[in-house]
Amino acid sequence: MQPKARQNLLRTSAHLGLLIASAFFLVPFLWMVSTSLKPVTQIFTYPPEMIPNPFQWSNYIEATQYIPFFTYLSNTTIITVFSTIGVVLSCPLVAYSFAKLEWKGRNTMFIITIAVMMIPMQVTMIPLFLLFNKIGWVGTPLPLIVPAFFGVPFSIFLMRQFFMGLPNTLRDAAKIDGASEFRIYWQIMLPLAKPAVLAVGLFQFMNVWTDFIGPLLYLTDESQYTLSLGLQQFQSQKGTEWGLMMAVSTMMTLPVIILFFFMQRTFIQGITFSGIK
Amino acid sequence: MSNSIFRKLMFSFCLVIVIALVACSSNEDGDGSTSEGDTVEFWHSMTDTSGDAVEKVIEKFEEENPDINIEATYVANQGEGQNEKLLTAIAGGNPPDVAYFDRFEVAAWAAQGSLEPLTEMAEEAGISQDNYYDFAWEEASYEEELYAVPTTTDSRLLFYNKDHFEEVGLDPESPPTTIDELEEAAEKLTIKEGNRFERIGFIPWFGQGWFYGWGWSFGGDFYDPDTGEVTADHPKNVEALEWMTEFGQEYGVEDIAGFTDSQGTGAMDPFVSGQISMKIDGNFGVAALEKFDPDLNYGVTPIPTPTGDNFTTWSGGWSVVMPKGANNQEGAWEFMKFFGSEEGQKIFSETSRDFSVIESVNESLGYTEDPIFAEFINILPESNSRPVMTEGSLYWNALADAVEASTRGNGTPKENLEKVTQQVSDALEE
Amino acid sequence: MKKKMEQSDQPLSAGGMINPKKKKSKVSGSSINGWLFASPWIIGLLLFYAFPLFSSIYFSFTTYSILSPGEFIGLDNYKQLMSDGLFWKSIYNTIYFAVFFVPLSIIIGVALAMMLNMRVKGMAVYRTIFFLPTLVPHVALAVLWMWLLNPGFGLVNGVLDAIGITGPNWLGSVTWSKPSLILMSLWAIGQPVIIYLAGLGDIPQELYEAADVDGASWLQKTFKVTIPLLTPVIFFNLVMGAIGAFQQFTLPYTMTQGQGTPDNSMTFYVMYLYDNAFKYFQMGYASAMAWILFIVIMLLTAVIFISSKRWVHYQGK
Repeated sequence: MQPKARQNLLRTSAHLGLLIASAFFLVPFLWMVSTSLKPVTQIFTYPPEMIPNPFQWSNYIEATQYIPFFTYLSNTTIITVFSTIGVVLSCPLVAYSFAKLEWKGRNTMFIITIAVMMIPMQVTMIPLFLLFNKIGWVGTPLPLIVPAFFGVPFSIFLMRQFFMGLPNTLRDAAKIDGASEFRIYWQIMLPLAKPAVLAVGLFQFMNVWTDFIGPLLYLTDESQYTLSLGLQQFQSQKGTEWGLMMAVSTMMTLPVIILFFFMQRTFIQGITFSGIK
Repeated sequence: MSNSIFRKLMFSFCLVIVIALVACSSNEDGDGSTSEGDTVEFWHSMTDTSGDAVEKVIEKFEEENPDINIEATYVANQGEGQNEKLLTAIAGGNPPDVAYFDRFEVAAWAAQGSLEPLTEMAEEAGISQDNYYDFAWEEASYEEELYAVPTTTDSRLLFYNKDHFEEVGLDPESPPTTIDELEEAAEKLTIKEGNRFERIGFIPWFGQGWFYGWGWSFGGDFYDPDTGEVTADHPKNVEALEWMTEFGQEYGVEDIAGFTDSQGTGAMDPFVSGQISMKIDGNFGVAALEKFDPDLNYGVTPIPTPTGDNFTTWSGGWSVVMPKGANNQEGAWEFMKFFGSEEGQKIFSETSRDFSVIESVNESLGYTEDPIFAEFINILPESNSRPVMTEGSLYWNALADAVEASTRGNGTPKENLEKVTQQVSDALEE
Repeated sequence: MKKKMEQSDQPLSAGGMINPKKKKSKVSGSSINGWLFASPWIIGLLLFYAFPLFSSIYFSFTTYSILSPGEFIGLDNYKQLMSDGLFWKSIYNTIYFAVFFVPLSIIIGVALAMMLNMRVKGMAVYRTIFFLPTLVPHVALAVLWMWLLNPGFGLVNGVLDAIGITGPNWLGSVTWSKPSLILMSLWAIGQPVIIYLAGLGDIPQELYEAADVDGASWLQKTFKVTIPLLTPVIFFNLVMGAIGAFQQFTLPYTMTQGQGTPDNSMTFYVMYLYDNAFKYFQMGYASAMAWILFIVIMLLTAVIFISSKRWVHYQGK
């Protein structure tokens, strides 16, 4: 009886805490949406107003005409989808090797994997550009897609941490049944690590979706540009078109929100050990 | 449970990749064979009205030169984007034929050997210093060679809110001309509550109130191009910075900073919201005011000086350059020449509302008749350009640091400016 | 590709690298498998990382400026850095940021994840909300914060005023600028929170049931079950958080227009590196800075890795 009452109290306070914290985390997004609906003179009024008056829906139409929105959207989608596929295919495989297989040089390779993240990209981006320039990839989306198929250190590290948590007993049992290493990975381990794979995919999706410097350097034709390059076009010396810029930002954010909303369930789902053991 | 679905998903991913790689490689073939014929690749960072303006220039140019085709590409050039793209393109040996370029950086890039010298072509075409404002030409040249064709310019003045002037009993038609008058007006206009400004009369370093402007207004100087001597610690500069420091102390630097650092430009400009009564800004600030508060009752006047005469200011602006390794140099030059010509300037300036680097163009566009614009134009002949040197960016940042440090009591103005002189001289020697 | 992998099926045990106590001497087949599985990444390293990294080491000994190759000057760049005032200031700023930000992000991140892992109605919506700030573009975030933290009419000081506290000048004050930035960065904590959530999902429910049988309190369950089993992902976020904090760049750069105002209190290491590389044409100098940063982060990470043997618990052992 008593524990139940306590649990109810806990639940209510949890709801309350969540609500307060959500309000805090909701501010930037609400501000973005509200700005996207404001006429230009209303954006930075004093004192600030949160609710646009009147709602200027035309910002959205204007914004999609100010930049070739749909071209940029499809370019961004293509680059993002392919590079996400690349990461989802390559990183778990490599991470599995780091976490569960034993091989000479594994530790060294793992340390190198972490180490390459420690050099700021500001100093490696020029030589990398020269490299891609030499093989003739500058001006194509290839430099933004192909490397993902060979793995991204951040994602490899993250996946490795999850594979480390998977019990070896599973693997050993499969071994006794005569399964090959790849079969174990593909049919047992990978499905078990699904939440992590999805998380890694989501992060890659987000990073590439909003990447600015990569597309800036490698895409040379305006018809190949991405949305994050498009966002820059709302800024000029004479000021920023905040309303239009936020309209594009909002539209740019929506796909990721929707994606996240439907994927988040898998994160708690976790790995159902009970069924397997 | 959903393992099989997951597996299917993974397999379909594999399939997509194969398609992707095929698609990408064919894409590459398609792109490999562009720039044929007499095409001039042109990179610029202009959007909005300037973007429209440059389009018109290109249109007219192509009409007059039907055999040359301008391929214009927008390249972000702000904030993080700076000039990385052009830098990497030149380093990779694959630059555009023409680039729209901040004149401020011409010397540094020219010294690196990354811009094509234009002197000969300019002489042949009869383009000389006489065509342009002196400071614009100086900024476009480095060590006696021309590296850029100037296209736009600007200048900085004191903006003041006439309604505020009237409110506190100042004559809105006779704005301050001396530093003393400026201080007096600022004091009257300021409304402070606790450590917060309801309204502040003036902040010397707000907006475009960079130290270059104050140094020159106080009669100082920064660089001697003949001897290569850096003179950040010129006695008059020291005086200017001392005045700024005192001003800061009087009003509370932290309080001012709390005010300025949370403000922005454009719609966030406190001059628009009536929180600041006077500011230093450039002519480009006019367009923002018209946009965000068309009814604002304001005037502009030269930046006050200690004596109330010898008004001056400084000007920057843009240009077109030919990066090293440009493929189509002849076509590029034709376009650059046109952009910098009276005809091209007129088309561009009319739409963009940027000032032309040619005096007669500004006159013919009626800028001298507009009461606000006229003030900006009239000061141009007295204007300075920032020192033309390879370490321009370093000098700029070092001066900004010196102002910050001095006003916050980190060393005296003299010490800080001496440090700047030292730092920039050292860098120049290297 | 699948066929290639289906070769060896030798039994082997795999202790984590962190815990290499019982290494098997039998390497042959499994070693090949290991290399095969890791091969995409090893090839990727050679193709896309090796050349840029080695180039930047070489550049750090030269006066390379991107536009001209420069000349070899040995250790001069490194020596010059030692007497560069702004270099040291940027180190101070960066360490200040990292020291406060990294632990805070872990504590708040874990706490949020635990809140978001409760079985409460509408959780999908809550989770999405916490994720939102990560999606707002940086330019917009910077402006929004300048607006919120405005001492005059900003929301933050407005709230403080209402409860009788006079708020500081936040971004205008040398003392408060970095705390402001830490606050802003904590806002975009969505990514680590998701990782923690995924980690929480991995904790077998039976462990909690067993704890319940033993009559453990919520607090005990948190510190005896949840946190220990979350250590692999905490470890990950600690390492990545440290690397990220030392490379802090975009937000302060956008917010101060690259100036690091007020009085260079917001000039972070990579911001100064960037200015050297792309504004002052000193890519050589910037590369030297990058490798000094590398050594610092490497040492720090080494400490984390070595200590992790004591506090990171992998379930898979």
